[in-house]
Amino acid sequence: MARTNHRFVWRALLGLALTLAVGPVIAEVVPVVSAKSLVTTLTKAQLTDIFLGKANRFPDGAPAVPIDQPEGSVARNEFYATFAGKSAAQIKAFWSTIIFTGRGQPPKEVADGLEMRKRISENPSAIGYIEKNMVDDSVKVVLQ
Amino acid sequence: MHRQITPSRPSRTRHAVSKLLLAATLWHPAAAGADTEDAAAKMFSFSGFGTLGVVRSSENQADFSLNIFQANGAGYSRQWSPDVDSHIGAQVIATVSPKLSGVLQIVSAQNFDGTYWPRVEWANIQYHFTPDFSVRLGRSILPGFLFSDTRLVGYTYPWVRPPVELYWLNPVDTNDGIDVLYHLQVGDLVDRIQGNVGYSNTQLPNNDGTVRARNSWGITNTAECGSFTLLLSFQASHLSINALDPLFDGFRQFGPQGIAIANQYDDDDKLVEIEDAGASYDSGHWLVVSEWSHGNTHSFLGDQTAWYASSGYRLGKFMPYLTYAEVRAIGNSNAGLNLMGLPSGAAEFGAGLNAALNSVLETIADQRTVSAGTRWDFAKNADLKLQFDHTRLGAGSSGTLINVQPGFVPGGTVNLFSAAIDFVW
Repeated sequence: MARTNHRFVWRALLGLALTLAVGPVIAEVVPVVSAKSLVTTLTKAQLTDIFLGKANRFPDGAPAVPIDQPEGSVARNEFYATFAGKSAAQIKAFWSTIIFTGRGQPPKEVADGLEMRKRISENPSAIGYIEKNMVDDSVKVVLQ
Repeated sequence: MHRQITPSRPSRTRHAVSKLLLAATLWHPAAAGADTEDAAAKMFSFSGFGTLGVVRSSENQADFSLNIFQANGAGYSRQWSPDVDSHIGAQVIATVSPKLSGVLQIVSAQNFDGTYWPRVEWANIQYHFTPDFSVRLGRSILPGFLFSDTRLVGYTYPWVRPPVELYWLNPVDTNDGIDVLYHLQVGDLVDRIQGNVGYSNTQLPNNDGTVRARNSWGITNTAECGSFTLLLSFQASHLSINALDPLFDGFRQFGPQGIAIANQYDDDDKLVEIEDAGASYDSGHWLVVSEWSHGNTHSFLGDQTAWYASSGYRLGKFMPYLTYAEVRAIGNSNAGLNLMGLPSGAAEFGAGLNAALNSVLETIADQRTVSAGTRWDFAKNADLKLQFDHTRLGAGSSGTLINVQPGFVPGGTVNLFSAAIDFVW
């Protein structure tokens, strides 16, 4: 009897672990640059610095122009939570600091993932993020 | 007296500014045509911020306020005061080219005369010589503390207001002049160096005249690495406040000992030096901030050292926090004139001057505060904050309180309750 209970508990824990590993059922978002870009990989810190306006270049010195998906979109929230470890409110507070001290402007926004992929494929300086299943050969994933 | 908040005024101003700027682009032949509105929309970016707050204080013989420039606050003037934290601001940034931009920010907050007439907080033109090196010409806010240039944008920090103990130290916050900004990146370290020179005039309440800051200069270095930020700053200025000149003229009539006292405490082109060191760690969940500052005004405004430490933890949309803050003053009293052997009339006048000087020195802030509060991000661009402060005033000091009444007893304790809604758009 005790043994059955144990087995049940182990199964439940295994199930829970799998659920946690897979995460909630939302598509994985990946950072992308144009297929024409020379950039190959970026660390999370480099990526965060570019999107928060702290760095205006890629590590090789080429100019970097970040592009955002709309505020409140799943892809955007997912991107900042995963790569910057910050919530939408934290990002908004961060940009409020920059805007109201006249130090800069947040990245330009595009309507959705499709438009982002198109804009990025056309501009070797651009960097953005799209759902993993939207990646085609016009863009490439940059993540170490 | 006009004390009500008038949100319509800044929005009207913003509208007027936008019309003016649009008219300016219409005038420009290159911008004219079908795309004018679109071009104007791309060139100008409008945004705004505000706070609606109320404060209640347990002390009814003095007012709690944000700084010495507010006409009134919570406690004596009002039981529940909306005047301490409430304000609204509107801003337009004009990006003429990647190198040239301009910013205009107008804020309606309680003024020295108790009105909410809008004032210009930022108005400068910025030129980027390179993407990393720029110069700003015009008005900006002095950058000496971690939160000094965003102190009015409550949405950007966890508390109802940055701890008054430290933020009280700098009697000047705007700067009309030149700023030089240099941005440096070494690996994951991002460093920003800012140098400023300029001057300012700020009017005081109660017909006390103007705080004039001349030959102001400063240097601020902000280093960021991942979740860590370290700020080091030095600001200097030559300050003049004439409000107490009659008092010091009185002292000067008493010969060398009176002149010595007058020269020690008067504020006539006196050097003010403020050093600051602040650090913060802001990960996804934890926020830890601490800041230390020392300010010597070489005048009746005092020589003070302040610091605070604060920590908050994010639980979803809530962030409860705890803060300890203190400011210590050197010299809340002075023995004054030695009246021994003076004729009785002169001795009486001298005693009056001594008493007046000591009541001025009593206003140099010396206090310790423990705060507990929480921030709740209830909407995508707004938060609600509740905060409780328990303050113990230093012996013989009225702390950061203003409008101190004859019935006030220095050195007591004050409890404060604050509620605020911050928003940005």
